[in-house]
Amino acid sequence: MSEPSSDEERSPRDEWLLDSLARQAAVMAGLAATARTGGPDVDGSLDWWGLDRQARRFLRNLSARSRGPAAQRWSHQLGAHRDLLTGYKDEAQGALASAEPGAAAEAEARLGLRIAVVGKGGAGKSMISGTLSRLLARRGHQVLAADLDTNPGLAFSLGVPHTSGGLPAEAVEEHGGAAYGWRLRSGLSPAEAVERFTVEAPDGPRFLPLGKIGDPDKTAPKHTLVALLEVLLGFGDPRWDVVGDLEAGPTTPFERYHAFADRVVVVVGPAWRSAMTARRLLPLVADVPTVIVANRFGDEPDHPGLSPAVRVPFDAEAAKAERAGLAPLDCCPDSPAVTAITALADHLTSPTHQEVLT
Amino acid sequence: MKIAVTGKGGSGKSTVSGALARHLADAGHRVVAVDGDPNPNLGISLGVDREEVETMEPILNALLAAGHTHNDPTPDPEDLLERYGLDAPGGVRLVATGKIERPTDSCLCCGSHMTTRQFFGELRDDDRIVVADLEAGINDLLWANPGPDDVVLVVAEPSAKSVEIARRATEIAGQLGVTRIIGVANRCTSDADVARMTEAMGGAEVFTVPEDPAVERADHLGQAVYDLDSTSPAMAACGALAERLAPRRAKEPSPAG
Repeated sequence: MSEPSSDEERSPRDEWLLDSLARQAAVMAGLAATARTGGPDVDGSLDWWGLDRQARRFLRNLSARSRGPAAQRWSHQLGAHRDLLTGYKDEAQGALASAEPGAAAEAEARLGLRIAVVGKGGAGKSMISGTLSRLLARRGHQVLAADLDTNPGLAFSLGVPHTSGGLPAEAVEEHGGAAYGWRLRSGLSPAEAVERFTVEAPDGPRFLPLGKIGDPDKTAPKHTLVALLEVLLGFGDPRWDVVGDLEAGPTTPFERYHAFADRVVVVVGPAWRSAMTARRLLPLVADVPTVIVANRFGDEPDHPGLSPAVRVPFDAEAAKAERAGLAPLDCCPDSPAVTAITALADHLTSPTHQEVLT
Repeated sequence: MKIAVTGKGGSGKSTVSGALARHLADAGHRVVAVDGDPNPNLGISLGVDREEVETMEPILNALLAAGHTHNDPTPDPEDLLERYGLDAPGGVRLVATGKIERPTDSCLCCGSHMTTRQFFGELRDDDRIVVADLEAGINDLLWANPGPDDVVLVVAEPSAKSVEIARRATEIAGQLGVTRIIGVANRCTSDADVARMTEAMGGAEVFTVPEDPAVERADHLGQAVYDLDSTSPAMAACGALAERLAPRRAKEPSPAG
């Protein structure tokens, strides 16, 4: 397919695509500059791992995005971008190979978690995301907790007012090529957006929900969606955990909201339809390793083919917290549900469960 | 009459939609049930066999498989209902708008949302009742775009999250010009639960569906509560809601005699 020769032939979608590549390149250049000034110790190795992982995330997303007419039209640019990312990844791997003995392995174990949480509506995604975020923060992690649902949910489980936070109008700009018509304002880096526009939840996670700008109309709930996804995907700080609570069902994984994540937690309840939903979700997130979490189980057997890594039991105290809109950690910190989510945090941070991204 | 059912995920939209459709059908109405969820599962609540729910082909998927693109003229909704619908127990005609199965399924933007909109907007309702079970959240409610002649049922369970979403859905339905907005306070165990919902719904009429072990049992099995126990407390409440929306009709003589 031939390439358009002049700017007039670029559609807004083309502009969006090319600009996104430039923004990714800027993120990579920033991470590389930091890594190159570091030493061959654990701390320096962590920055190289950050560069490596961010390159892999962008590459994975590029593979998933390299369909459609725009991608074909710009195959040359996409190829060059792939080479750029591969170059960074190779540079990082080279530096890690020549780090001090043991430093690379220790740094890898310290890499921040990047978790997307999916499941059927009502499965308990927000409760698990919010509690997990706070438990990780209590362990000394810096945590970004993002709510990717147009309806509020995570705020309640984190224990922050559901009206708080969100990317404001000054963080976004209109762009005809972006889905839903808006994107992250040019010049505002993902790291800067996290710095400026998150609010602190109890125990320290930084909370970032969708914004509430615009009048209620066909698109308003999603005005800041693309910008928030850009922040999550482009926020490459290897010292931060990122937990993203996705809107229920298959639409959000289909639209690749989980692109920022290195692992996807699939929450499944005891109902048959919850299991059916989980089975439908798994192929949609197949590009990322998954962890199944059974929630609110009593004495029901596991669903066939959905062996959970962690079981969060039915818990009357946690159910009461849900009713009241309170964070389980604030009203029932010793409940069986919180204990089980502590086990989930152990599972996710355990080196034996770290799976290497392809 | 067209009824759009909205609410938070897990609040009981499908359970209420399915029971309502079955009650309406049993009361002598012709009923079309539209599953607007890209994770279609309304069939379960209508009493369709689990296997059949898993394998039924929604409109969007059937059209895409047949090579239909979004530049082609939109097919007639009645024809789509005839071709891709299935007969659920009790005489309810069920159709699903679209299902997301693979990361590569294309054209979602004008896919299931558009189908939902088209169905809700264009299906005839002069001699039948359309019950549309929408995708969780308020986005699909905006797409369905109900108007002054339609009913919006806002389903919530008594959790703070669910009630907050009901509040937003009520606001949006009002902005869309809907005058018949009815709340369904699902799984209520106390008057306080109902009061919270009534407050969030801005004084709109609220029907109470009590917590009911039969619902949980049916849910675990993947069956319709209606078929398990059509007189259980939750089903009886849905029956009262059906009667409120469309009073029972005298049996018409069957054309077959």
